[in-house]
Amino acid sequence: MLEIRSARKTFYRGQADEKVALNGLDLKLATGEFGVVIGSNGAGKSSMLNAVSGSLSLDSGQILVNGDDVSGLPVHKRAMRLARVFQDPMKGTAASMTVAENMLLADLRSKKRSLRPGLTGTRIAAYRERLSLLGLGLENRLDTRVELLSGGQRQSLSLIMAVGGSPDLLLLDEHTAALDPRTADIVMAATVRAVEQLKLTTLMVTHNMQHAVDFGHRVIMLDAGRVRLEIAGDEKANITVPDLIGHFAVKTDRMLLAS
Amino acid sequence: MDFIQTTIASFISLIPVTLAQSLILSFVVLGIMIPFRMLSFPDLTSEGAFPLGGCVCGVLLAAGASPLTAISVALIAGFAAGCCTAFIHLRFRIHTLLAGILMMTMLYSVNLRIMGKSNLSVFGSPTVFDWVPFVRPGFPASKIIAVGLIALVVFVLLNLYFKTERGTAVRAVGANPDMAEAQGINVWAATIGGVGLAGAFSALSGAVMVQSQGFADVNMGLGILINGLAALMIGEAIVGKQSVLRQIAAPFVGAIVYYQLVSLCLAAGMPPPDLKLATGLFVLAMLALPSLRRSRGAAPAREAFRE
Repeated sequence: MLEIRSARKTFYRGQADEKVALNGLDLKLATGEFGVVIGSNGAGKSSMLNAVSGSLSLDSGQILVNGDDVSGLPVHKRAMRLARVFQDPMKGTAASMTVAENMLLADLRSKKRSLRPGLTGTRIAAYRERLSLLGLGLENRLDTRVELLSGGQRQSLSLIMAVGGSPDLLLLDEHTAALDPRTADIVMAATVRAVEQLKLTTLMVTHNMQHAVDFGHRVIMLDAGRVRLEIAGDEKANITVPDLIGHFAVKTDRMLLAS
Repeated sequence: MDFIQTTIASFISLIPVTLAQSLILSFVVLGIMIPFRMLSFPDLTSEGAFPLGGCVCGVLLAAGASPLTAISVALIAGFAAGCCTAFIHLRFRIHTLLAGILMMTMLYSVNLRIMGKSNLSVFGSPTVFDWVPFVRPGFPASKIIAVGLIALVVFVLLNLYFKTERGTAVRAVGANPDMAEAQGINVWAATIGGVGLAGAFSALSGAVMVQSQGFADVNMGLGILINGLAALMIGEAIVGKQSVLRQIAAPFVGAIVYYQLVSLCLAAGMPPPDLKLATGLFVLAMLALPSLRRSRGAAPAREAFRE
């Protein structure tokens, strides 16, 4: 379960280019719920995700994961509970390390790291099996350095790394945006499969309206640092891309009127 | 013909001495490699940590401490120096190179304070080399055996460590600090510990060097960094850096080959004052090689080091 309570964040406070990124944002995601976040540039999607993961500290407000307040914890402590797939395939993996070593790092995310050997035979076998689910042949390239993989392979690896160990919360930060359409579909399909199988509480940011329509239990539209619209249940199930874009248009008109 | 013969003769006669020296200095190269390659943290602390280790060891030996105690305290001092550099970088977001320059400049005064004068003779004090059986102390053989043994132990331990769960995490910090953090790794702890360890190795080198040469000098670290870098480049060119094993072997192999090369140059009659220029040009050439090979066009993207 994820709960964001009246989160506020202002950049460059008191300066000419003051920017309110989060303006009392409230959001609640039940356990096992898959929320899809949309919104125009500058709506606060990235700020929200960064605030949840810990790389952005809030001015005020709280972040709760499974009922525990994590607002004061640094990124590496929050990583025990949540996993994240970045937009940039370069960002989510260690390029100069091998596929197996990357899997090991993710495997140890919520565990205490010991002085025992890292890559044991049993672990390698387990990683091979988990990677084979992707059907990308990564299971045969465990000793390949990640920098030699394609963007799609790297992103798929990031995904497998993130969902391993069933985190309390999975954050997907436009994780298919940097991929070509075909690869994006493969990664998205793998995402949905993992999220449904493991019943992960998931928050996905996307610019892809089709993805917002096709996936997730709830669409959350952000605007000016707060939730402007939520679509769930039957309405979510029946919504079409034009409907969603319609909401965007309404919002844009309102924004024009407001300014 | 005569020239070549005398050159080779004097080079060969110097091989054992040079080997002993290069084994001692291989720890500095290790102290440069660990931050540079494992943590992507180009670090200059060794230029200060090396004489720090020497000064601490010298003072303790002069005070009658056992050689092992002297080395241990030197190790701790070097570790602290490395930790300070890493902390300066992390806490104040000062570039790693600048943090290192600050640290080594400040360490110069610290070293002078520790010794109270600019050099200190500890000739005749007991050394770790005295404990090597079957060879007469003071001869290169005892140094080669003693330091070679330490080097072997360090090499094996480091190789094991960087393949453990924790060691892999430390390497991840160097490979991609953002990713490491997102995987629950404490970047601060890994960086401070890693750079500290490197400082400890540099200090170890200084301490053993003082026991080997019989005196400590505040200026003993002058140019050690560029020598170490040159040795590292040679080592990596010979054994490569594709795996943990190779990366850790590189400093040792590099140090041994590099100092023999230097010895050869000196035997061939190269004036010692030109040595730093030659070393500098060599390092420059090694660093420039990849960009020259890639293309003649615009300079390629810089390596992604922490800023």
